[in-house]
Amino acid sequence: MKRQRTGWLLLAPTLIILFITGFLPFLYVIWVGFFGWNPTSATGQMHWAGVNNYRQLVFDQEFLLSLGRTLVFMITTVAIELTLGFALAGLLLKDFPGKTFFRTIHALPLMVAPIVVGAVWRLLVIPGFGPVPFYLRKWFGIDYNIGTYAGQAFWTTVLMDVWHWTPFVTLTILAGLSAMPKEPFESARVDGANRFQQFRFITVPLLMPMLLTTMFLRIMDALRIVDEVFMLTGGGPGSATRYVGIHIWRKVFPETEYGYGSAMSLLLLYFTIFLCWLLFTSITQSGKKARA
Amino acid sequence: MKKILTLLAGLLIVALASAQNDEWFKTAAAPYAGATIRGVSESSPPSVYVRDVLAKQFTELTGINVDFEATSWDQMYDKAIKDMEANTGIYDFVYIEQDIIYSYLARDFLVNINESLAANEAIKAPNVDFADFTTFADYFKNADGDLFGIPMEAFTKMYLYRKDLFGDAAIQEAFKAKYGYDLAPATTHAQHRDIAEFFTQYGKDNNLELWGTTVQGSTGHPASTYEYLESIAPSFGLYNWGINTENYKATTANGGALDSDLAKEALSFWVDLLQFAPPESTSSTWDEVASTFAAGRAAQGWVYFENGAWISTDADRSVVVGNVGVALPPTAEGVIAAAEAGEGYIGYYDGGAFGLPHSSKNKEAALLFLQYIAQKEVQPGWALAAPRITHTATFDDPAVLENDAKVDGYYTLLKEQGKLFGGAPAFPFHSAVRETIDPFIHRALAGELTPAEALDQAAVAVDAKLVELGYAK
Repeated sequence: MKRQRTGWLLLAPTLIILFITGFLPFLYVIWVGFFGWNPTSATGQMHWAGVNNYRQLVFDQEFLLSLGRTLVFMITTVAIELTLGFALAGLLLKDFPGKTFFRTIHALPLMVAPIVVGAVWRLLVIPGFGPVPFYLRKWFGIDYNIGTYAGQAFWTTVLMDVWHWTPFVTLTILAGLSAMPKEPFESARVDGANRFQQFRFITVPLLMPMLLTTMFLRIMDALRIVDEVFMLTGGGPGSATRYVGIHIWRKVFPETEYGYGSAMSLLLLYFTIFLCWLLFTSITQSGKKARA
Repeated sequence: MKKILTLLAGLLIVALASAQNDEWFKTAAAPYAGATIRGVSESSPPSVYVRDVLAKQFTELTGINVDFEATSWDQMYDKAIKDMEANTGIYDFVYIEQDIIYSYLARDFLVNINESLAANEAIKAPNVDFADFTTFADYFKNADGDLFGIPMEAFTKMYLYRKDLFGDAAIQEAFKAKYGYDLAPATTHAQHRDIAEFFTQYGKDNNLELWGTTVQGSTGHPASTYEYLESIAPSFGLYNWGINTENYKATTANGGALDSDLAKEALSFWVDLLQFAPPESTSSTWDEVASTFAAGRAAQGWVYFENGAWISTDADRSVVVGNVGVALPPTAEGVIAAAEAGEGYIGYYDGGAFGLPHSSKNKEAALLFLQYIAQKEVQPGWALAAPRITHTATFDDPAVLENDAKVDGYYTLLKEQGKLFGGAPAFPFHSAVRETIDPFIHRALAGELTPAEALDQAAVAVDAKLVELGYAK
């Protein structure tokens, strides 16, 4: 009993901080989401809106478009990062000259704050001044301008995210691969399984918990991306990279639509949870079917 | 001999007055010595001067520490507004851009400086008289004439051109041969376009990194909307963002002008200029436009003159030192006459002030600091470091007059023609409506919409927004 009380006492500071900085603001956002509140309106007052903000969201074309755009971004980046991360983790399992150096360099982007990543990439690709557009034009005659061409801006944000977060995927998969038991592989080899079969029926199932965790973390991060893209393109050109996080930020801060912005944030949270649940269920169900 | 004696006597009087003023600040600040006041501002040349020079002088004199944060425009607003809204009291003074003051006043963020000083005579500096500010201070006053911000920067968005290129005999000859008139700073939009086209071709022909004009055309930042609404549109005679200030409507059908033929003509002219602008233009905010001009990549353009001084004089940062010409921006027929008659304006009179939030926890110390930077004596050095003039006496300061030649007579132009420029309209819904217009301007610049489509849609969206906000009548 005494030990239990000591445990709670030790946990108390963390729980209090989490309650104040996490739970209370969350409750406040839920509360504000039921109001119409723009301080620059003629009255400046909050007024009860019930579920009107949510009803309006369903028909808000700008919001839905930004959500769709974010989904495309999320699917693209997570797919590339998982594939690339897996390949690099496999590579890092083997010995080759300069492996330690490569592993260190490879992990460096993880230590950089997202806003700095955006600034660095902006310096690299800013039309007119950046080295990337300069050499693309000089060597290949490519007119690369993220301020003008929507496709180029989108793919640049994808590339930036892949550069930033692939090391995270690599390191987690590498940790999983390194901790794998040798026995199942030895038995499989004795039974005549080829390398693909070993990968398909042993490596992937054993890695699945780690892969799922990594994938969900990356999905959540990709859905709420703001800093890097805000710094790089500001959501442009036009609305090409106005992902839902940027859209919400613009609504809440410059436009001061606090009620509507809160509703958007909550809907995005619900959407993220639902998407993760859906993916988790479908992956685990298909795993069960395969085993059966 | 007599002149020297007069000059020496003058210098002695100034030194004595300055010492007397310093003594007053030292005494008045004694109860607050050791306190720390915090401020946030945009990292512009005038703010950097406050941070690096004035704040340090003030601390040395009074013992009050000044923690001055000079950050990006977006971050500055983000931090200041969140602090004032949440009433946390992190900042004791905040930068108020001229166009946001109406929102701040509507939300009762700011302290009435006149009232505060009247209520506490012990901290009212005897050598500071708010009546000495230029008329730019009027933007920071309420209907009773009380001040809510100490003006710290004021400048106009001028037309800058390359004197070396415009003065080159061979270029002049080629230009006249092609267009049939003499090459000179553009006074009309047609001339601006001709010059832009000519120099873009000249850059290509001579394998130079040179284009005909700057365009502040970021497709993901509000800077582009501001250039259109506050510089381009007024130069065509379209004022107040095309919003009818009687009934707060933007569509022509409801008495507004945002989707009028004039507005569309102005936007078409500006979007068309992109073909003669450097490739960075669609990523350019005000800062990048200044960098573009300073890098010698544009022959002419609208440039915020807060950057004009370093572009004209700082050889470490600018390759066009000594070659920068300053003139009034090109305008449509009748626009200058309308501005002279007080019925319009030809471009943007930009600037800002430092205000004291209600949430401040060190109001007295902050008021002392604000008065310190409002003194006549500190203005000339500040104006030389950054081309901002907010005090009438600064125009006649010998050092400023001497510097006037280096910036091609900008100070004289500001003194004589500053009245032709206007600040942003007095809209308390400034950011909300600008944010509504942004996507349409961005899409027009990106080529997703034609200028006419963009403005038709923007005007409808603004009408809806103003109804939603409760302003439309």
